[in-house]
Amino acid sequence: MNEEKLKIKEDAQQWEGGVAKNITFIVTKDCQLACKYCYLVGKNEEERMSWEVAKQAIDYIFDHENDFPERSVVFDFIGGEPFLEIDLIERICDYIKTELFRRQHHWFDSYRFSFSTNGINYDTQKVQRFIEKNASHLSIGITIDGTQRKHDLNRIWKGDGPERGSYNDVVRNIPLWLSQFPGGGTKVTISSADIPYIRESVLHLYSLGIHEVNINVVFEDVWQEGDDRRFEEQLMLLADDIIDGDYYKDYSCSFFSERIGKPLDPVKENNNWCGAGRMLSIDAAGNFYPCTRFAAYSLREKRPIIIGNVRDGINKNRLRPFLTLDRTTQSPQECVDCEVASGCAWCQGENYDAAETPTVYQRSTAICLMHKARVRANNYYWNRLFRKLEKDGSREEFEQNKRNVKPEIC
Amino acid sequence: MKKEVGYVSAEERDEIQRLFERRNGLTELAKILTPDNDELYERLVADMGDTATRFQGWWNDKSAKYGWESAPEGHWEIDFNDCKIYLITN
Amino acid sequence: MLKYLIIQLDSTSTSFCHYAVNRREPCLMPLDTLRKAIRWSMIENVNVQFLYPEYPLPAEYADAIETIDHVKIMQATAADAGKADIVVFDGIASVDADSLSEDMSIVVRTGKKAFFAEYAMLNAILPKVSRLNVVITDIASFADDDFTTYEAALTELAVAVKNEYVGNHPVQFNLLTDRIMLKEMNNCGAGSESLTLAPNGRFYVCPAFYFDDESDSVGDIDNGPSLKNPQLYKLGYAPICRVCDAFHCHRCVWLNRRTTLEVNTPSHEQCATAHIERNASRRLLEAIREVGEFLPGMEIPEIDYIDPFENVRIDR
Repeated sequence: MNEEKLKIKEDAQQWEGGVAKNITFIVTKDCQLACKYCYLVGKNEEERMSWEVAKQAIDYIFDHENDFPERSVVFDFIGGEPFLEIDLIERICDYIKTELFRRQHHWFDSYRFSFSTNGINYDTQKVQRFIEKNASHLSIGITIDGTQRKHDLNRIWKGDGPERGSYNDVVRNIPLWLSQFPGGGTKVTISSADIPYIRESVLHLYSLGIHEVNINVVFEDVWQEGDDRRFEEQLMLLADDIIDGDYYKDYSCSFFSERIGKPLDPVKENNNWCGAGRMLSIDAAGNFYPCTRFAAYSLREKRPIIIGNVRDGINKNRLRPFLTLDRTTQSPQECVDCEVASGCAWCQGENYDAAETPTVYQRSTAICLMHKARVRANNYYWNRLFRKLEKDGSREEFEQNKRNVKPEIC
Repeated sequence: MKKEVGYVSAEERDEIQRLFERRNGLTELAKILTPDNDELYERLVADMGDTATRFQGWWNDKSAKYGWESAPEGHWEIDFNDCKIYLITN
Repeated sequence: MLKYLIIQLDSTSTSFCHYAVNRREPCLMPLDTLRKAIRWSMIENVNVQFLYPEYPLPAEYADAIETIDHVKIMQATAADAGKADIVVFDGIASVDADSLSEDMSIVVRTGKKAFFAEYAMLNAILPKVSRLNVVITDIASFADDDFTTYEAALTELAVAVKNEYVGNHPVQFNLLTDRIMLKEMNNCGAGSESLTLAPNGRFYVCPAFYFDDESDSVGDIDNGPSLKNPQLYKLGYAPICRVCDAFHCHRCVWLNRRTTLEVNTPSHEQCATAHIERNASRRLLEAIREVGEFLPGMEIPEIDYIDPFENVRIDR
């Protein structure tokens, strides 16, 4: 009897969700692409993290183990495109592993390296060697936006000359990625111009073998009049396709969740949506941020919120607003009273950037109509699905086996 | 074939999950540490042996404690999410 | 609801709080602006506090000021200090106890180091005034050792305050008696209960905001105040303060913004010093009651923290 084979049934994106510390290295602000909806307004080729800064950051964090009591840690690597800096990343990860062991740090027994990549360099020798070397501690998501026309609408190559979409450069790596991360999910972003392609894109991603599609509308105020109606129509069509095609059995789309569209108790359900402040981001200059979205390259209107640096450490006073932020204090009354509030998300960084004063305590309501449209389509989806399951006599079986779609929290 | 044969407590699950993580961590650390690292290499080797022993010991203890069904060519699996133990046979 | 307007008559008008006056060149508020401010205050039914410069005001200014009920706040060294309702001293050592009278309210601004070196001199001042406000201007710099020293200093000063009360001179001393008298938050109120009108005719949350950045105004006297996100200056929108019972705390929104970048969030140092004062007040109340009945019904419970942030933080 071999008792050592364990099944690891874990959702990579939700690994140790809520109890893991997220530490993000902004290794570069460069990217091969110039996606039209990208919130990173200050991307550039110059700000690349040096090994010295990365090492100082790691040393600071590990030297202050008591300030990081979370039982687990996720080291995120983002850009720009993180795999542009694969040599640095490999060095960082080797150092982290070695130092955790040398110091007998409690995170040695519970860590992950996480990447969200555009997928273009995924099959290169260096990236593949890195994956092989760290296989049991990796979470990698490749961003593919759906059908070619949807993907290429926004995700275009950087540079002058005619627009060139990146779909073909990404999709060729999907089979390799799925063979290495069979449960891999992709993140799809919806802006105003993408709405007509939502249905076809989700189905296309399913056809590529991606079972988990995490999809969200952008938080920025980009919405046109009538977008909510068009959005609702797309989701209704998608709902029909998922139900009629029996996709609900093995696939998920985060637009549809039983948990959304309910009123929220102002006392018992008063948590902040966003994890800013409980995370730590480090940029090339060695500055610390409560989340990457507060770094200068992410902000259109406001000054960055720097909460320390690798030399002086964390200014704990600057974390206090983030660590005391609840839902109702930052929400306008219409959100507090909203009958369909649950699942309505926000990004603390976008709230800050859009606020009338430099505060994280003013919630942006730019997605209000889009959320309400989603709720209506979501109601339709579940009412139709449950009716079908009941008629089939398979409701109970569905409840036992349904994929656990969690709200996506950045 | 997969058959549910029992479950363990959350504390017991945490224990094996931590050992599982440690074993993976040590295995991947072994890919980058070489014998000329005087400070860490011997420690790593000793830790790998110790962790493997504790890991197998957990399965021995818990299978004896709970009396899980077994099979000659089978093995047990644990689902970290719900603490359930499964018997896997071909 | 707005209750007070602080009118800063000159760019060099005295500070009575944590901020420093960083302008050297006098710039007097235009007389027309002053008159508009007085008229606006009457219409809005707010109490007026005038911050005076060192030099004597022209006669027409003095005449205009006297057209409205008000409070005069002046430096002890100001030309007209004798007419002040509240006199401000920079440094404990600068206070001549013999020059004080029992009906005086004084503010003493001091730095941390000077306070620790000179606080014993307050023992001679307490019997001579009706109210003493001590403002430690650099509390943001308090370190762990300073909290210990501060607690010891207040414990010593409490003996002198107790003696005044026992001797039938119930002096008000902000660091030790304000909390005893309060059943709810009573803080600075900048942005919610008070605004400041600077010499340039613009409104500011308080004078400190004017000195920090003149462009950071919240309206002007011609068009009225226009404070954005006004709710953030109210207690209900301050997650740490709304669960706190250091009722006497300044809750200085300017220090909040400097240290935490949010006007509704105090720093650890502001919370800890306020709680050291709160706890010293609790002990003082007990000590006075050992002598006789005093403020029955007013209680300050014993607590085991000095920073309420630890009770509301969401990551633990």
